[in-house]
Order: sequence, then structure tokens, then C-alpha cells
Amino acid sequence: MGALSFLDRDHTIAKPGYSRWMVPPAALCVHLCIGQAYAYSVFNLPMTRLIGITDSAPNDWKLTELGWIFSIAIFFLGVSSAIFGRWVEEGGPRKAMFTAACCWAGGFFISAIGTSTHQLWLIYLGYGVLGGIALGIGYISPVSTLIKWFPDRPGMATGMAIMGFGGGAFIASPLSVWLMSQFKTATHVGVTETFIVLGVVYFFFMVVGSIIVRVPAPGWKPAGYVAPTESKGLITRNDVFVYDALKTPQFWLIWWVLCLNVTAGIGVLGQASAMSQEMFPGHITPVAAAGFVGLMSLFNMGGRFAWASTSDYIGRRNTYFVFMVLGFALYCTVPYTGTHGSVVGFVVCFLVIISMYGGGFSTVPAYLRDMFGTRYVGAIHGLLLTAWSMAGIFGPVLVNYIREYNVTHGVPKAQAYNTTMYIMAGLLVIGFICNFFVKAVDARFHMAANDKRGTEPVPANATAPQAARA
Amino acid sequence: MDAEHQETTTLQLVLAWGFVGIPLIFGVVQTLINSMKLFS
Repeated sequence: MGALSFLDRDHTIAKPGYSRWMVPPAALCVHLCIGQAYAYSVFNLPMTRLIGITDSAPNDWKLTELGWIFSIAIFFLGVSSAIFGRWVEEGGPRKAMFTAACCWAGGFFISAIGTSTHQLWLIYLGYGVLGGIALGIGYISPVSTLIKWFPDRPGMATGMAIMGFGGGAFIASPLSVWLMSQFKTATHVGVTETFIVLGVVYFFFMVVGSIIVRVPAPGWKPAGYVAPTESKGLITRNDVFVYDALKTPQFWLIWWVLCLNVTAGIGVLGQASAMSQEMFPGHITPVAAAGFVGLMSLFNMGGRFAWASTSDYIGRRNTYFVFMVLGFALYCTVPYTGTHGSVVGFVVCFLVIISMYGGGFSTVPAYLRDMFGTRYVGAIHGLLLTAWSMAGIFGPVLVNYIREYNVTHGVPKAQAYNTTMYIMAGLLVIGFICNFFVKAVDARFHMAANDKRGTEPVPANATAPQAARA
Repeated sequence: MDAEHQETTTLQLVLAWGFVGIPLIFGVVQTLINSMKLFS
């Protein structure tokens, strides 16, 4: 309404001549910013010294208290993407991106007040709740738009955006450390000012993304692209209403496939540094372990693009079969690399595993599009991300508690992770079975052409505007 | 130019990709440099 009407979907419909290659950078503007969440830990130690400055004072926050900030944010990512998914889909990407920008920047500003007044609940509310909502809305905001612009390469398109989420930490981590060093004084750790600067910079970046994003005109298709006229295998030409998707076994099978794939990856991602040092004492130093973690992050990011792009050629289900089979083999191999002292084997195993962890995230939007059509794919993707929240709890708990149990029962530290690796391999077997049972969605769930639900018109296989170019 | 036709120029594409690509490449290079410590 009024001044904010430029955010409406109607105002974002691309005119003929708009290049679809403007959309991936628009999506990256958002995903690179919200990907900062992966680098949030750089603030943890400075925030334990807000009062003591050089060392933690008795009234300073504890690391265990600060750990909740990230957990709350990831929880609200899943909740908000599930709740606001339909609104994001029907309101359009610009409105969603702008909302995410306001929430993300607002989260930093409230957190800045929290650090300056030393009130932790404000940071839980700011970064945790508001930032988490921004993560959820921002994560799904460009997905369906990209799929509609790239019907010929949906995996590659969503892979590019979700790669940005993995890459956001690469920018945020050195930037945050540098900013804190600039604002640090003898009486101040510089976290408050860093939060404010990050809030301003991220808001600017995300608003730029919301300005340049466009949705294709109804019936648009890339030059030379011939849309299939009927469903083929798992790839449907029909749409499924967002809440009807929940009634299909396919949604829940893919939910478990994602949850299990992420559980297997997220557990080792968080413990990679400690695990590498304990499995290879004397061979991998703390400095080398930090390098290993950095290399894993690169493969996490690269895997998002590479695997999702590969899925355009080999199919989504086959891509997840590769994740499950190859992952199973690699998890079973890791204990042998430990007993044989093969650092190279260990590193290679985990780099491939972590690339498939990232690939699992980036391939799933295209998988959903194949199963449920393009109309509500963003909203359905939002509902599916609750699997991520669940995996965020399962994964680290499995790795940490099983290791602790083994160590307290006399298992040498170098072998304490072996059981976990076999359990992860077992999870992937279950994931394989779930993926195996994914079949085409029953026709009774398909939306009719005259279905009145939602506000967006059903994208019929209309003739594309001639001037639209790819 | 026709108001209903908005041709995306090469400059716009370069600016848009540069806007996100330059920070991303900076971050990747920084991470790659740090990762090399694994091999030192």
C-alpha cells in the first residue's frame, strides 16, 4: 500500500529485455549477508570479555550462555521459513528480501543495544529471534524466483544462491575481526560498534538485492527452451498447493532424506577441528586443524554449486543416491584412515562428505520443484527447512555425546569417533531407503487450472513474450 | 526506448556480478590462504 507498493509482486514483473542473469546476483546479495550466521562464533570470545576486556570478569557472560544465540537463530530459521513460506511465495521476492533486510539489520541493532547495556536477553531477541526470522525469510525468498527464471537449469540456479549462504561466512569472519580490531580500545572490545556497522552494511546489500530482483512475466520462458508438455518420471508439470504437499508421503520422505544428510554432515562440521587433532595427535596441530576447517568450508560452499548443477544432468533422486552411497562408503572409511595414520585419506574423506552436506541443501529446492511444481516451491521449501532445525540438534548431539561416552569408558581419543562414523553411515542407509521410496506425486494432489487458492495466477504453458531474453 | 522494454545492459550485469563477486572472491582467497596452514 502507498509508499511501499514498489515492494509488491506486481511491481517486480520483468519487462521484456530484462536479463535473467541479474537474478542470481540479487539472490546472492541476500544469501551472502545472512550466511554471516556461520561466522557468528567470532563474536563469542569477545562477548565473554565485555566487562573484563582482557579477561572474563565474574559478571561477564559465559560461552554456554552465548551458545544459545546461534541455536535460537537456527530454530527461528526453521520456524519462520515454515510459517512465512506461503507469504513469501505470494508476496513476491522483493517484499520478502526487504523484510529480511529489515529483520537482519534490526537484529544487529538490537544486539548492539544488548552488548552496550550488557543485557543478554536483548541479544537472544535481536540476533536470535529477529535474526532467525530474517534467516528463514531471506533463505527461501529467491528460491522459487530463480527456479522460474531458470526452468532449464533449476539446480544450477538455486545452487548459486545457496552457495552464497555457505560463502557468507568467508566475508563476515575476516570483516568482523577487522572491525572489532578497529573499534577496540583499552576499555572497550568493539563488539557494539561492529554490530552497528554490520547492520548498516548488510541492510544496504540486501536492499540492493531487493531492488534488482524481478519475477518473470507469466508464461515467460528462456529463448530456445521448450518446456515439456507432460510429466516425465519424477518431474511433474503440475503444481501442488503448499499445505497439500504436507499430505503427500513424498514431502516427508524428502524431509527425512534432507534431515539425515544434514545430520551426518553438521555433526562433523562442528567438531572437525577437535576430531582431526584427536584422531591424528602429533600430526595435525591446532593451526593445521584451523586450515582444515577452512578447507572444509570451501568444499561446503563449492559443493552447493557443483552438486546442484550436476543434479540438472543426473536427476535429483540420483544425486541423493550418490550422497547416500558415497557418504556411507566414506564414513566407513574414516576409522581406517585413523588406524592407518592416513591424514590425506582422512582429509579427502571429509572434504567430499562436506561437499555433499552442502549439496544436500542446494539440490533440495530443485527436487521439490520436480515433485510439486514451481508455484509453491518456495513455501514448500520453507516447510522442509524444519528438517534443518532438527538436524542442527541431532548432529552435534550424536557426535559430542557418543565421543564423551566412549572417552569416559576408556576408549582412546584417537578411536573415540569410530562409533559415531558408523552411526552416521547407518543414518545414510536410512536416507537411501527413504530416497528409494520417493515416487511421483499422486494426481489427486495436483492443483486444477481454476484453483482459487493463493493470489498468483497458475503459470500456464502460455506463449512467452518474444522480447524476453535469457 | 520503449517504456515497456527495459534491456539489461552489459554494464548492469558487470556491476551486479561485481557487487557480489568481489566480496565473495575476497573471502574465498582469505579462507584459501588460511587453509594452506594445513599443508605447512
